Amino acid sequence: MEWYWALATLIGMVMLFMAMGVPVAMTFITTNIIGALIFMGDWAAWTQIVDNSTSLLTRFTLGPVPMFIMMGSLFFHTGLAIRVFDGLDVLFGRLPGRLCYLTVAGGAVFSTLTGSSMANTAMLGSLMVPEMQRRGYNRRMSMGPILGTGGLAMIIPPSALGVLLASVANIDVGSLLIAGFLPGFLLAGLYAILIFLQIRANPESAPAYAVEMPPMLERVRLVCTNILPMGLVVFMVIGFIILGWTTPTEAAAFGVLGVIILAIAFRVLTFPALRASIEATVKVGAMVFFIIMSSTVFSQLLAFSGASAGLLEWATGFGISKYWILLMMFFILITLGMFMDATSMMLITVPIFFPLAQQLGFDLIWFGLFVLMTFEMAGTTPPFGLLLYVMLGVAPKGTTLFQVASAAFPYLICDAILIMILIFFPGLALWLPSLM
Amino acid sequence: MDRLSRGYNVILNGMAAFAGILIFLSFLMIVVDVTMRIVGLIPPAFTISVVEYILLWFTMLAAPWLVRIKGHVFIDAVTQFLPAAVKKVIAKIVYAICTVAASIYCVHAAGLVMVAWQDSMVDVRSVDMPLWTLYLPMPVCLLFVAIEFARYLIGIDDMYSQSVDEREGV
Repeated sequence: MEWYWALATLIGMVMLFMAMGVPVAMTFITTNIIGALIFMGDWAAWTQIVDNSTSLLTRFTLGPVPMFIMMGSLFFHTGLAIRVFDGLDVLFGRLPGRLCYLTVAGGAVFSTLTGSSMANTAMLGSLMVPEMQRRGYNRRMSMGPILGTGGLAMIIPPSALGVLLASVANIDVGSLLIAGFLPGFLLAGLYAILIFLQIRANPESAPAYAVEMPPMLERVRLVCTNILPMGLVVFMVIGFIILGWTTPTEAAAFGVLGVIILAIAFRVLTFPALRASIEATVKVGAMVFFIIMSSTVFSQLLAFSGASAGLLEWATGFGISKYWILLMMFFILITLGMFMDATSMMLITVPIFFPLAQQLGFDLIWFGLFVLMTFEMAGTTPPFGLLLYVMLGVAPKGTTLFQVASAAFPYLICDAILIMILIFFPGLALWLPSLM
Repeated sequence: MDRLSRGYNVILNGMAAFAGILIFLSFLMIVVDVTMRIVGLIPPAFTISVVEYILLWFTMLAAPWLVRIKGHVFIDAVTQFLPAAVKKVIAKIVYAICTVAASIYCVHAAGLVMVAWQDSMVDVRSVDMPLWTLYLPMPVCLLFVAIEFARYLIGIDDMYSQSVDEREGV
């Protein structure tokens, strides 16, 4: 079979089953079963694909995924997240649009403490939107910063999605995680500039209001007790990886330990909180792992059928600039992201895009970050970006998807600007990993 | 029948609870391992192997429970625009596909366990593990996954009754 027919058969099956509403994990399992029969032509191939399914999951490098989810869940369920917010709240004074800046700052800090963009968006949305509405912020200003900042968790370490991407693409987990640190905070800065410009253009969109500020000493105390201790968790994860003291999996376990230590210190560690965190870990972690269980076999089928090699040869045979191909990959990811979640997109595109990127001479850590950035954008792209729906779930009654999507749009432009910056200054992403 | 159903549910929920215990255990094992290394003691050699095995056991043990609580992510971008009757027919086809696919995996995974057990095969990692312990959760849990999809197929419940904002992800 020609490579393009093989590719169309495998990708077509995935698309068809997904469109029918087959759960994503079962979509890949079913595609593997049929694909093995078509391309290997033997019933024994089924034993082979079941056997191969275990190979990706039993890698120590995947360990950070459930650990980061547990860490983030503990952070939310113990109430430590609210403490951070209370600490940040006193820093912004009577600034116009203070709640927008607070959202960006809180979201960036949460991103260093949790690995899930959906959890981040849900948390920020439920916490900030009612308050912003009460203070007379318009919908654009109340939802936009949350949608933008919620997605930061995909880039800023610890990122559970980053670990998954690195594992599936077979690149260094620690390097990809650390690569997102500086661009993630730069993006938060771009969001802050955008908010400043939006408020300047329309001051009524986020009116200033009188805030009762505690005395300076009290503010210092709040920052010292509510924000600075969180640095322990950040250090235990990011610091340990950069210093080379632990592997990313070990650092993730220490991140969980850090949150537990803080929860004990603040006397907020309860059995229900621990239980809820473990339940959330099982729900999200096992769901994602069940999906990626079949990814190795899917990649192998793409390779075995000749689809990967054929596409690679075809795509690099035009002699066009590698940046045009990068742009094409970007649009494919954004289009896919309109209809499916990041994990599914990853499984379909990684076996094709990463070998292509390597062939074109892109640094794979840089390319991994580019893919994560694109996932972040895709999550807020209508009509089916998941973060839009998470936001819609916590937004006031009567909010439409169009309103949510148009609030997110300026933040997508910031994302695009960051991607351009990364293209021109790849060192921004690659400098920290080079220190490891 | 009622007792059988209750017993089945206890096993299903018990497997998910065990998955939670295992993942928490892996966290403790890693922390102890690294702490021992830092203070100059020799950490146990089995930590990495056991954690790697736990990742698979954790996934498999929770899989049937996730089907029950409608926790497996799916895409309804296309089906949501279809008329209810068509949607219902497609849903039945989906449940049938999932039941058959999980059953095929289950049978072949059982074959892998048998061969690994009979031939006393060993999985060489940081410590040698009997290979059948790697495969063991697969046939058992995939059988439960197949049963859970069959429940939807015969109309006990509807997997698509979950709202969008209840969905989870990373």
